[in-house]
Amino acid sequence: MPTVRLRAAVEYPPSAQKAFELSSAWFNHAFEVPPAMSRVMAWDPGFGSPHGRAMKRATAPGEFTRAEKEMVAAVVSGVNACEY
Amino acid sequence: MTGDAVWYEAAQVVGITNALNVAADALDVVGAVEEATAPPETQTLFAEIRDFYQCATVPAGFRCIAHDAAYAADVWAAARHAFADHRLPRRLKEALAFAVSLTSRSAFGTRFHLGEMRRLGVGDRGVMEVLGVAQMFSSYTKIADTLQLEPDMGHIAPVDPSPAPS
Repeated sequence: MPTVRLRAAVEYPPSAQKAFELSSAWFNHAFEVPPAMSRVMAWDPGFGSPHGRAMKRATAPGEFTRAEKEMVAAVVSGVNACEY
Repeated sequence: MTGDAVWYEAAQVVGITNALNVAADALDVVGAVEEATAPPETQTLFAEIRDFYQCATVPAGFRCIAHDAAYAADVWAAARHAFADHRLPRRLKEALAFAVSLTSRSAFGTRFHLGEMRRLGVGDRGVMEVLGVAQMFSSYTKIADTLQLEPDMGHIAPVDPSPAPS
């Protein structure tokens, strides 16, 4: 069970709603509910916005494709034993 | 990256990388087998390893476990299989191994797999890309763990209905 109460999408301001839409576009998936991590990062835009931009810069295609980078992300998550 | 086969390959790379890093980082306390004085079967094994990595010195993890030649040969066979070009190219596998080594704080593995990435043609930009992904997802995972978030994105990946390899 999460340490915090994850707020429903409707509890967030319009600026966060825009971020949720961008999240769906990024994952190319129409989420019924924005993913928990998206809602966590929307809690404090002062942290979540630059953190999210850094993540998108890091995972954008370059010498490695986005798919390859997603695989790197998956193994890092595995090594960190992160279930999420 | 669809289909389960690529993920099985990636998991093999993660596992054997971690295994070799564990041994390499124990080199100071366990000691290395010296190639010049090693038994013939170990010298043959070391020659195969040097050929695979195109290096003058056998990587520390293998020198460390070569005190038991039969064991080292089996570990090498698994490592060679895991890192060879199959569905995933070796270049990407070295990038995965670099990320694993960074994340698990293996000084040996980080240096070794950085060298392998560069040898296989990854440039400065590519190295920074892998470093960036490893860094950002080390952040995301700790945020998720701290807040004990439950997985809610696994369903967006398609299920692979193909059977196990025959």
